Amino acid sequence: MSSPRVTAPELQLLGWRGWLPQRAGRADSGAIMTDERPAAAAVPAMLRRRLTPMGRAVCELLSELDIGAGEVPILHASRHGDGHRPLDMLDTLAAGEPLSPARFGLSVHNAVLGVYSIAAGNHTSMAAIAAAGEEFEALLAEARGYLAEGCDSVVLVLTDSPVPARYRIDAPEYPAAVALQLSLRDQPGSRTLTSEPRDSAEPAPITVAQLVDWLTDGAALATRAPPRRWRLAPAGPA
Amino acid sequence: MSDHPLSELERDVAHMIIDALELEDISADDIDPQAPLFGDGLGLDSIDALELGLALQKRYGIRLDSDAEENRDHFASLRKLSALVAERRTD
Repeated sequence: MSSPRVTAPELQLLGWRGWLPQRAGRADSGAIMTDERPAAAAVPAMLRRRLTPMGRAVCELLSELDIGAGEVPILHASRHGDGHRPLDMLDTLAAGEPLSPARFGLSVHNAVLGVYSIAAGNHTSMAAIAAAGEEFEALLAEARGYLAEGCDSVVLVLTDSPVPARYRIDAPEYPAAVALQLSLRDQPGSRTLTSEPRDSAEPAPITVAQLVDWLTDGAALATRAPPRRWRLAPAGPA
Repeated sequence: MSDHPLSELERDVAHMIIDALELEDISADDIDPQAPLFGDGLGLDSIDALELGLALQKRYGIRLDSDAEENRDHFASLRKLSALVAERRTD
């Protein structure tokens, strides 16, 4: 007797936005923002002043996705978080100097979503993830969990930042961010994520820029775990 | 622009506040020297109070006891803070 084959329902991409400051003047999609320091106009100035450009970008991307306040869980994964900020604090400590209370307060991995939550009055489920290079995979797994629990859609945010040179292991040269809204239901203009097993070669960690390219040009994206190649079906009739 | 022009020291302290607290789009002249720094006036919060304590130490060599009741008075306005700096600066 053969066991029934279990398949996960297909994921649908409802929308996305990206921030790639290194592509200023070269980005050809309205979904990609390249300002070095995003305006994040929806965040009150007294909150916004404590965010790095990456933090401002995340708030901007989330307000552009227009997910309302309270319905859509938000997951933020980042390998190195705000990069320089927390690591520079170690230098300050080593030099015996006092830490900046404001910077210390925002040095935790969930700080950006915390500021967004306060600014947007959005008290939905939010989580911050670091997964040693498997951030996108972790986001997909977490998203599956929320969708299986009955959430209509989930927003995945992937960011990364440069780190001081002495720490550099696969850290990007520029900060970057991307936000995707996934669901199990389709809607006009949504695109379906399909996947197939990939060969055994272990792919490099998925970067923000790579994810944006996948969203824009239809190339395949290889994940480490599960070992699969992902494609996005072209947008259906709107 | 405030109705009350700033003294040289008040301008100096105002710049310290703006730099230390990373205030966006605010110049020294936007700060009314007699308006409250916290709450209704400039709108600073409790983390800013800690940050200002650190800035006073770095910039003017003034160490405040974090529990002292009189800190509330020192931080009441730009003018009060400038008076503290004039009295206790060691730089």
